[in-house]
Amino acid sequence: MKKLTVEVCIGTPCYLMGARELIDDMTELQNEYEDKIKFKTLHCIEERCENAPIVKIDGEIYEEMTPDKLREIILERI
Amino acid sequence: MAGNTVSEIVKIKRKIYIELAKQVLNNEIENKISKIPFKIAKEDGERYRCCVHKERAIIEERIKLVLGFDPKLHKNEKPVDLLKKRGQEDCCDNIVNVIELACDSCPIDKYTVTDSCRNCVAHKCVNTCPVDAIVTIQNKAFIDQKKCIECGKCREVCPYGAIHENIRPCVRACSVDALTSNSERKAKIDYEKCVDCGSCIRACPFGAISDSTEIVNVCRTIQKGKRNITALLAPSFVGQFGAKVKPEILKSALKEIGFDEVIEVGLGADLVAVEESQELKEKIMEDDFLLSSCCPSFKKTVQKHFEELKPKISKTVSPMVKIAEKVKEDTGNKTVFIGPCISKKAESCKYDSVDHVLTFEELMCIMVAAEMNLASYEKKEGIKDSSSHGRQFAFSGGLSKVMEDLTEKEIKTVKGNGLDECQKLLNEIMTGETEIDFMEGMACQGGCAGGPANLNKSKVTKKLVELFSNQAEYKRADQNEYTA
Repeated sequence: MKKLTVEVCIGTPCYLMGARELIDDMTELQNEYEDKIKFKTLHCIEERCENAPIVKIDGEIYEEMTPDKLREIILERI
Repeated sequence: MAGNTVSEIVKIKRKIYIELAKQVLNNEIENKISKIPFKIAKEDGERYRCCVHKERAIIEERIKLVLGFDPKLHKNEKPVDLLKKRGQEDCCDNIVNVIELACDSCPIDKYTVTDSCRNCVAHKCVNTCPVDAIVTIQNKAFIDQKKCIECGKCREVCPYGAIHENIRPCVRACSVDALTSNSERKAKIDYEKCVDCGSCIRACPFGAISDSTEIVNVCRTIQKGKRNITALLAPSFVGQFGAKVKPEILKSALKEIGFDEVIEVGLGADLVAVEESQELKEKIMEDDFLLSSCCPSFKKTVQKHFEELKPKISKTVSPMVKIAEKVKEDTGNKTVFIGPCISKKAESCKYDSVDHVLTFEELMCIMVAAEMNLASYEKKEGIKDSSSHGRQFAFSGGLSKVMEDLTEKEIKTVKGNGLDECQKLLNEIMTGETEIDFMEGMACQGGCAGGPANLNKSKVTKKLVELFSNQAEYKRADQNEYTA
């Protein structure tokens, strides 16, 4: 099965708006679902910094992400 | 504290910082400052208060405080008016302030009876109340709040645990009992008692307590390109700006956004360590003891709450002041201390050598405003001002370890990790229950690594600082070429 690609932006604006918490959460999720998720970090996602933090899931962009929202979306899609 | 989570309150605060910094850097603050509340609280955005107008009004109050004005004293003025007043009028004397409009006036009835009350036969609560404030009404105990003296005895004796103790988050967070409430039940800070630690700021879930900043001042200075400005980086800076942002990258990036020089406050800590260990040796010879002076909130706690011990505080200035004095002497540059601390803002007011204080959080907002993306920035510049000793000042236990190394004696040290523990130890020292040579007092749990304006988890910061400390060219403070 194809893995779900999750890309979290760790650029400075996203980091300031909580990207670190998203990464902590993703690391946890990836450990749990190793065969289903591919997790990467990016330096900037299409300059959407105004609505940080930004996450890309299988190419689809999500703005103003929170750990809870991210978990919900991922669990739904795997 | 186990890492500062980025709550909605924190996000709003950071958005305000970024907008203000952007406007200063783009030279448009006078024209655009009034638009910030509209940009942040959008008509269709998430809402936490009754209406968008209140959201915006609160943001306006926050802006006043960011500019350095107490919103309580400038109720009828707009941020744009205050902007003009800057420089003419002294900004707020107190760093930590209540934004009354944002305060929810949480209930202050300290004890209430919950539904767990069984109206039991023994009714110990009624019997134990020293002021007869408890009666039974409709099969349940009831506390007459007019009579209640908040002694808590009823709560202790109730076999069902049916009596609830209601403490406001700000009051609970304050270790020095500095939080009370005014006649409108809004939070009020007793500045005779407050030690600027910032615990209440972190505790309030409405974001109704906040600190004034110097963001606008600093941005004006770096924007003018005067370039006579030195950044003083507090020892806990390692890893604050992202796991991959190495100290060398940060130094280079700071220069890119307008700082002329960057220096580790760890060097100031080295100088302090040498001086303070000498002071300690003398004290031990006199059969006396010493209290550390580098944490301003600890120092204030002793000054305000343990007056008898005041003479025992080390006369050595803090690492921030030490390094600022050195920079002034060597270069004449403006100095900007950058750290995890709110209390340093208050401390800096007493010393001409420190021109401005920023927190890590505030600096990172300025970075965003300056469109500096540290994640993709690759330039590096070596940073090696401090010895291993100086860098260890960042976490609880570091300073006392340095003192043990430098005095080269068996010394009796205790460390107060957090204000509660500090006060407990100070009490024991006063009564003679604990005998010491040296006490290290840090108001924040974990030391500066656990400070209120940290961007990373305290434990992670400690680890990264330890790694960085091991990489230092010199092991001991007295080996550093500037102290030797």
